[in-house]
Amino acid sequence: MPMAVSPTRPQNGLTKFTNCRLLKNDALVDGDLWVSSVSGKVIDSQVSFYDELVLPDKIVDLGGRILAPGLIECQLNGAFGFNFSTLLDDMSEYGEKLQEVNRLMVQTGVTSYIPTITSQRPEMYQKTLPFLGPSGDHRKAEDGAESLGAHCEGPFLSPTKNGVHNVDVLIQAESIEDLQRCYGADNMTGSGDGKLPIKMITAAPERGRMMDLIPELTSRGIIYSIGHSEATYEEASQAVGKGATMITHLFNAMRPLHHRNPGIFGVLGKAESLPRPYFGIISDGIHLHPTTIKIAYNSHPDGFILVTDAMHLVGLADGSYPWTNGEHTCNIIKKGSKLLLEGSETIAGSSITLLECVNNFLQWTGTSIPQALGAVTSTPAAMLGLQGVKGTLDAGADADLVVLSDETVGGCHRLVLDEVWKFGQPVFRAEQSHVKSY
Amino acid sequence: MRLIIRDDEHAASMYVANYVVERIKAFQPTAEHPFVLGLPTGSSPLGVYEILASKYKAGEISFENVVTFNMDEYVGLPRDDPNSYHSFMWKHFFSHVNIHPSNVHILDGNAPNPEAECAAYEDAIKAAGGIDLFLAGIGDDGHIAFNEPGSSLASRTRVKTLAYDTILANSRFFGDDLNRVPRMALTVGVQTILEAREVVVIILGARKALALQKCIEQGVNHMWSLSSLQLHPHPMIVVDEDATLELQVKTVKYFKSIEMVAREQGFEQILPSRVRTGNVPIPETKIQKVKSTPILAPEPIASHLLRASPIDGYSSRSVSPDLVPDRMASRIPEPKLNGRLTPNPEHHMRVNAVGA
Repeated sequence: MPMAVSPTRPQNGLTKFTNCRLLKNDALVDGDLWVSSVSGKVIDSQVSFYDELVLPDKIVDLGGRILAPGLIECQLNGAFGFNFSTLLDDMSEYGEKLQEVNRLMVQTGVTSYIPTITSQRPEMYQKTLPFLGPSGDHRKAEDGAESLGAHCEGPFLSPTKNGVHNVDVLIQAESIEDLQRCYGADNMTGSGDGKLPIKMITAAPERGRMMDLIPELTSRGIIYSIGHSEATYEEASQAVGKGATMITHLFNAMRPLHHRNPGIFGVLGKAESLPRPYFGIISDGIHLHPTTIKIAYNSHPDGFILVTDAMHLVGLADGSYPWTNGEHTCNIIKKGSKLLLEGSETIAGSSITLLECVNNFLQWTGTSIPQALGAVTSTPAAMLGLQGVKGTLDAGADADLVVLSDETVGGCHRLVLDEVWKFGQPVFRAEQSHVKSY
Repeated sequence: MRLIIRDDEHAASMYVANYVVERIKAFQPTAEHPFVLGLPTGSSPLGVYEILASKYKAGEISFENVVTFNMDEYVGLPRDDPNSYHSFMWKHFFSHVNIHPSNVHILDGNAPNPEAECAAYEDAIKAAGGIDLFLAGIGDDGHIAFNEPGSSLASRTRVKTLAYDTILANSRFFGDDLNRVPRMALTVGVQTILEAREVVVIILGARKALALQKCIEQGVNHMWSLSSLQLHPHPMIVVDEDATLELQVKTVKYFKSIEMVAREQGFEQILPSRVRTGNVPIPETKIQKVKSTPILAPEPIASHLLRASPIDGYSSRSVSPDLVPDRMASRIPEPKLNGRLTPNPEHHMRVNAVGA
C-alpha cells in the first residue's frame, strides 16, 4: 500500500519545481512547474489541482535557477568512445554500447538526439539503423538520452564537398530505389510498427536526380537537409521549394557566400517567396568565426539550431585516437574540443558538448539566455516536427528538463548544468549543485 | 466596527495578512477542527495573497488545515479560462501555498443546475462549521462579493445578474470587450457573509472612497451592500489613506485615536475569545415572530430581520402603563373648597380686623 510511504496521502508521482525561472516563449519567467513521473509529462497544475485534487509528492526549490527543456542534439556522430558508424561482429553488442552512450549522454544535458551516420557503405546503414531509430517508446528515465530517429549524413553527397567523409563511398541516386538499396527499404518506411528509423537525410540536391526525390522523402516523414553540396543559390532555392526544411552545418562543406552568387546561405534571404529552412550551426570556435555565427543568427533567428557535430571522442581525454573511416584507419588528435586528422589541418568534426556550444554562442553574440537556449530546445523540436512534445515546458510536453545556473563572467552569461530530469524523474545531479529538496 | 487606516496599499495589505496569520495561529487548526476562511477575488486582495504566500514560503504559516470558501464565480465561463476565479485563485494563491485541493471550495459557474449548486454551497459552509473569517473586498459601488446595489441584505448564495458598472469595470480583464464579460455570476449572499464569525474587508484606493464613506458614515442601505456590515458583531475594515478621501476628518481621527488608545493600553482591538478560538455553534438567522399587538417598545428593526450572530441582548425596557382615556379637566387637581375663590379668606379677615 502507498500508505507505507506516506502516512497521510497516497503517492501520485508529482513533482513541483518552485522558485525557478522557466524558459517559456523566448523569456525566462518566474513560476512553478509540475511534472509527473507516471506519465513522464509536464502537467497543467491548475487542472490537476481542481480535477485530480492532488498536491505534489515532492517540491524542489531551485533557488531562482533556470529550468529549461532538455537539450536536443541534431547532429552527433558518437560519444564517449563509441562511434555510431561502427560495425561489430556481434551487433547485439552495438545495442548495449548504444544504451551505455545514452545513459552517459543524458549527463551532459542532452535528453534527446539524432544519432548521425556519416557516409558509409550500404551494409553499415542497413545493420546500424535498426538500432538507431526512435528509442523513447518505453518512456523509461533510466534509459537516459532518447534517440528521435537517425540522421543519415551521406552518402549522396558532392565528392568536392566531402569534408572528412570518405570520397570512395559517395554515390548518387537516380531513383528512390537507389536510396532504399543503400539504407534498406525497412529503414525508410518503417517495419510495420510505424516506427521510422530514419528521421533525416543530408544529401546534395544537385547530385543525380536527388532534387526530384525530395518530395518522395518528405512524404514518408523523412526530413531532407541540404548539405555537403556544390549547390548554387538557384539549386538550393529549388530544393527548398521541393520540401527541404533544413541545412546541415551551414557554411561548412558548401560554397561560401559570394556577393554575386550567394550559394546555399542565400536561401535565408527570404527570396523567391519560399519558407526559410532551419539550419545547423557548429559554434565550437573552429568550424566558424564568431561573427559568421552572428550573421547567420540575425538573418533567420527562428531557424537557428546549434549542433555539435561531435565525434565519438567527446567525453574522452585529450590524445590520439584511431578512427576507421570506411576501409581506412587513421588517427585523430584530440586537443581540448579540437579534432584534427593526424598530420594535417583538416577539421575532423568536433568534440564539444552542446551546452558548451550554447555558452560560446552567448559569449560571442551577447544574445539573451532564452534565445540561446531556444536554439537547442524549441527550434530543433520545431524542425523535427515535435512542437509541444519536446523542447518546451508547456503542459502535455515530455518532462525532459535541465536545471541550469547562470554565471556572469566578464560581462558574458555562462550556463552551468546542475541537474537533468528525464520523463519527470531525476537522472543526473552535478556534485556542487546546491539543491534544496524537501 | 473596527476601521484600520494605513498609509498605503502595502501597509494595509500587510496588516490584513498579518491579521489572518495571527488568527489562524491562535485558532490552532487541526484536520478535525480546521480554520474556515472565506476568500475574495479582484485587485484589492492581491497584495494580501502575495504576502500570505511569502509567509508560507518563509515557514511562518501553514494552510494544511485551512478550509476555504470563495465568494463567487462567473456563470458560463470555462473553469480554466484565465479570467475565471478558479484561475485567479490558482494563480495568485493556491499554487503558492500548501492548501489541499479537497479543502478548497469555489462555486461551479458551469453547474447544470446553478440553484442546486448554490444550495449545496450553503450546506457545505454549514458542514464545515461555518466561516471563521470572511476576507472581502468591495467594488466601486460598495458591492460585497457580487451582491450588487439593490441586493437583498437577507440574501444567500444564488445566481446574480451583474450591474452594468461591474461589467464595465471587469471588461478590462476581457480585452476591453464588453460582449465577452459574463453577465451573470454565482455569489454568496449578504446574509452568508454576515453569518461568518468575523468579516475583514480590505478597501484600497481613491476609487473606493465614496463607497467607504457610504458604508461607514451612513446608514444600512441595500444600494451599498457593504453597509450591511454595520449589523455584524465583528466587522473590520482595513483601508489605505486614499480610500478615506470622502470620509469626514472627524471620522478618520476617531478611528485612528481608537486604535492608538487601544495600543497604548497594551492590546490590539481583539475579538471575544470564544470567536477567536472558533468551534462555536453556527449562528442561525432568527426571524422573531412579531406579536399581533402593536410594537410595545422601540427596538432596532434590524434585530428582528437580520440577527446574524446573536449579541447577548439589547437591554429590555420597562413596559409603558396602560392608556386610559380621560378628560383634560380631570388632570387639574380639585381644589379643597368648592366655590372659594380667595385661597385663605380667614387670613384676609384677620388682616382687615387689625387694620380697623
